[in-house]
Amino acid sequence: MTRAAPTTLRPTSAKEVRDAVLDTPGRLAITGAGTATGWAGRAGDDIAATLDLSALSGVIHHNPGDMTVSVHAGTPVRALQEQLAEHGQRLAFDAARVARGATVGGLLATADAGPSALVWGGLRDLVIGTTSVLADGTMVRSGGHVIKNVAGYDMAKLMHGSYGIFGPLVEVVLRLHPVPKAVACVGVDGPVAEAASRVLELMASPLEPIAVEWVSGDPGRLLVRLEGGAQTLPARVERLCELLGADAREVGADAWDAHTSLTDGPHAGGDGDGPALDGAVVRIGCAPTRLAPLVEQLPATAVTAGLATGVATVTVPGAAVAEVHDAVAAVGGTSVLRDRPETLDAPAWGPAPSALALLRAVKTQLDPEARFAAGRFAPWM
Amino acid sequence: MPLARSIHDEFVALLGAADVLDDPVRTRTYECDGLTGSRVVPELVLLPRTAEDVAGCVRICARHRIPFVARGAGTGLSGGALPVAEGVVIGLNRLNRVLEVDPENRRAVLEPGVTNLEITAAASPYGLYYAPDPSSQQVCTIGGNVAENSGGAHCLKYGFTTNHVLSMEVVLPDGEVVTLGSDTMEQSGPDLRGVFLGSEGTLGIVTKVTVRLLRTPEVMRTLLADFPSVSAGGRVVSDIVAAGIVPAAVEMMDALAIEAAEGATGAGYSLDTPAALVVELDGTVEECEEQFALVKEICDRHGCTRLHIAGSPEERANIWRGRKAAFAAVGRISPDYIVQDGVVPRTRLAEILERIDEMGTDAGLRVANVFHAGDGNLHPLVLFSAAEGQTEQAEHLSAQIAELCVEMGGSLSGEHGIGTDKACSMPRMFGEDDLAVMRRIRDGFDPDHICNPGKLLPTPRLCGEKPGLYRPHPLEEAGLIERL
Ligand SMILES: Cc1cc2nc3c(=O)[nH]c(=O)nc-3n(C[C@H](O)[C@H](O)[C@H](O)COP(=O)(O)OP(=O)(O)OC[C@H]3O[C@@H](n4cnc5c(N)ncnc54)[C@H](O)[C@@H]3O)c2cc1C
Ligand SMILES: Cc1cc2nc3c(=O)[nH]c(=O)nc-3n(C[C@H](O)[C@H](O)[C@H](O)COP(=O)(O)OP(=O)(O)OC[C@H]3O[C@@H](n4cnc5c(N)ncnc54)[C@H](O)[C@@H]3O)c2cc1C
Repeated sequence: MTRAAPTTLRPTSAKEVRDAVLDTPGRLAITGAGTATGWAGRAGDDIAATLDLSALSGVIHHNPGDMTVSVHAGTPVRALQEQLAEHGQRLAFDAARVARGATVGGLLATADAGPSALVWGGLRDLVIGTTSVLADGTMVRSGGHVIKNVAGYDMAKLMHGSYGIFGPLVEVVLRLHPVPKAVACVGVDGPVAEAASRVLELMASPLEPIAVEWVSGDPGRLLVRLEGGAQTLPARVERLCELLGADAREVGADAWDAHTSLTDGPHAGGDGDGPALDGAVVRIGCAPTRLAPLVEQLPATAVTAGLATGVATVTVPGAAVAEVHDAVAAVGGTSVLRDRPETLDAPAWGPAPSALALLRAVKTQLDPEARFAAGRFAPWM
Repeated sequence: MPLARSIHDEFVALLGAADVLDDPVRTRTYECDGLTGSRVVPELVLLPRTAEDVAGCVRICARHRIPFVARGAGTGLSGGALPVAEGVVIGLNRLNRVLEVDPENRRAVLEPGVTNLEITAAASPYGLYYAPDPSSQQVCTIGGNVAENSGGAHCLKYGFTTNHVLSMEVVLPDGEVVTLGSDTMEQSGPDLRGVFLGSEGTLGIVTKVTVRLLRTPEVMRTLLADFPSVSAGGRVVSDIVAAGIVPAAVEMMDALAIEAAEGATGAGYSLDTPAALVVELDGTVEECEEQFALVKEICDRHGCTRLHIAGSPEERANIWRGRKAAFAAVGRISPDYIVQDGVVPRTRLAEILERIDEMGTDAGLRVANVFHAGDGNLHPLVLFSAAEGQTEQAEHLSAQIAELCVEMGGSLSGEHGIGTDKACSMPRMFGEDDLAVMRRIRDGFDPDHICNPGKLLPTPRLCGEKPGLYRPHPLEEAGLIERL
């Protein structure tokens, strides 16, 4: 794919973002750390400039007592976590590409999440305020610094999964959680169907796992993460092993590397120069009990399946992407194309949602000239 | 202008005469919600029995541009379900079936009129429950909870309605029926479900809701602790959180609230303490034990004068009965009262409580406090006597308190919503641009402004010439008058 390289603007403050939006006529692309460049629809060609938000970085205000933090949208979550850890706090969020430097804004815009979404939800559930710049230069703020807040429309939610179509996020306020005193992981080998029936039992038990993921392989492995107090965790690990069966055992935290490498597509090496992708990565979601039968039926070469959340990441041959969308839609789920070979022209989304006209109407209200993120939701809009 | 007879007939053709109320005696039943100070008698009250009929009603409204207001149980405390004159109220109580409980996927599908407590009742045979628990949960509906993004005592740990609703079937203001959200936390595209949640009935009517259910915790342990001051209680809360413990609930009551609640329920609160804290922990047996020991230690460190641990489920229920009755019980110690609902960052609780105390003294009114200490959500109850002509003072004090919350970096509302009650205070919290963008969102959903108009966002009709948002008078726009 060849494209004339558009001008790149690197604003360092919210005001500079606003000026860039006002001073640059035409269509604008938004980038954070560049970790999700190929996700969702192919960006259009007629971009006047790219707003690179990676220089809009850093913590604005961390209030440990209130367990909230406001950050510039281009802040890498990895850097944020390091800073928070000094206070025994964390953003309870573990999407794979955090390791590669993904930014708060980019992660929010792509609605990405990791295994611990089972308990903490995604950024949608952790964001309590946002400031964004709209196409006409309006700087709009919603929410605030308190976790309980029902004043006005929750605009932060609108930004979650927006892929930048309403404009760049410049500031994000997040709620935090304490770093757990102890973490343990239990693994048990077996195919996905077997894992699924174990997960049913696990979720009916009072053990409160933080993450429950099956990772493909030969024969595949179920990973369960527990968090808790230093004194009490060993007893819970024991109960968990008993429940999962004789061959279940405690494994090291590095067991999750297998998971990261399968959800993070071709980049999993960490430096972004991993092997070229020879398939497409699709993220799917459906009712949890439908997930195992669904992924078994797909021509997937690699799978991670959140058997309690119903969210899976699958690698399939490029030619099978449309088939995956259809199969997921048939069980009432949703799917989106993530990584893919540069040359692959595959549909980014499954069937359009019933609220498409509404989505278009909201987009028209906020960005009437469609200046932002052209192509992200093709062919829907 | 009253609605034309022909329009009335259209509704009757759709629903049948028995489900279209126009008799003023009966429509008057719907003239207000829990904010009883504002009343408007609606033109008609429509009582559909199915989602299709709701959509049918909305389509008729859309065709004739008749404003409509959805109504659940009418327990809203901010005037969200206040009728619009020359408009209709669409009552959703008859859509009250639990459509499905799916224990394996831990979710339930509900009609909007199902009450909050009925969800847990339907889920509990499977060892599951629905987490958000407003104090009004016996009567308020899931439709109203969705519209208000309702919370409750357990929200600190478990989140609000928005964190528990997976998808919703919604009738948009043009009568179109869409689904917002999906079966999982995955979503395709911007989270319109999240925008709708907490939109106070201004973006459409919910006709079906799919919620997440949680497993009932292995144990729940509740303690009641007395402290020599409200600020000592506040410091306990901070230390609990700093110790890395996220309690299921942390509630605080001051002396006045305790007096009222204990008088009404005899739940076992101490009458001579300036402050009481209710702390609930839940989870596995092991975790609870470990954390409970820590909590007791923290309480002691801050001069706890009495610590009572519920020894049985009955005792636990009793502690909660006292807490949940506190609002209504205040009626015992004051002829009238206003419940305010504001939020401050938790670390500023002690400071704002002192300020509220001073403001009360200045206004010559008593203020009782019972609140969700864990998340900084205050419910100051301004006590007054209408008979003695204190209404205006009380309203003024109550609004002042809400705005003080904003000044301290908090919010105008933590759970009761803005409605008509606090719409005029919105410019205190949001800039003109922020509010203008919210209007644009609303226009995207409801270009004709027929869906619960006049709520949530300030309008000149509501706010008159109150300071804040500037809006030109029509005569100004016409160039006939000038604002100097
Ligand atoms: C040659 C070239 C041409 C390009 N042409 C286009 C184009 O035509 N259209 C286009 O949209 N992009 C275009 N891009 C940008 C490229 O698609 C970006 O690298 C990617 O879309 C954005 O984010 P990211 O990969 O940095 O990852 P992330 O930072 O992870 O971002 C992923 C998604 O989030 C959005 N996003 C990131 N930060 C924010 C924020 N702060 N606020 C709101 N949204 C945010 C992005 O727009 C993107 O949709 C082009 C890039 C190159 C190198
Ligand atoms: C004693 C008492 C205690 C309370 N405690 C709490 C508490 O702890 N936490 C809390 O959050 N709230 C509390 N409330 C407030 C109130 O109960 C909640 O806001 C509740 O969610 C309202 O539900 P409802 O069914 O009564 O809605 P209503 O009052 O009938 O309506 C509220 C709003 O929702 C809209 N609405 C109703 N149904 C629908 C629908 N199907 N689709 C779209 N919009 C709809 C209405 O138009 C209106 O704007 C309390 C109220 C009382 C009286």
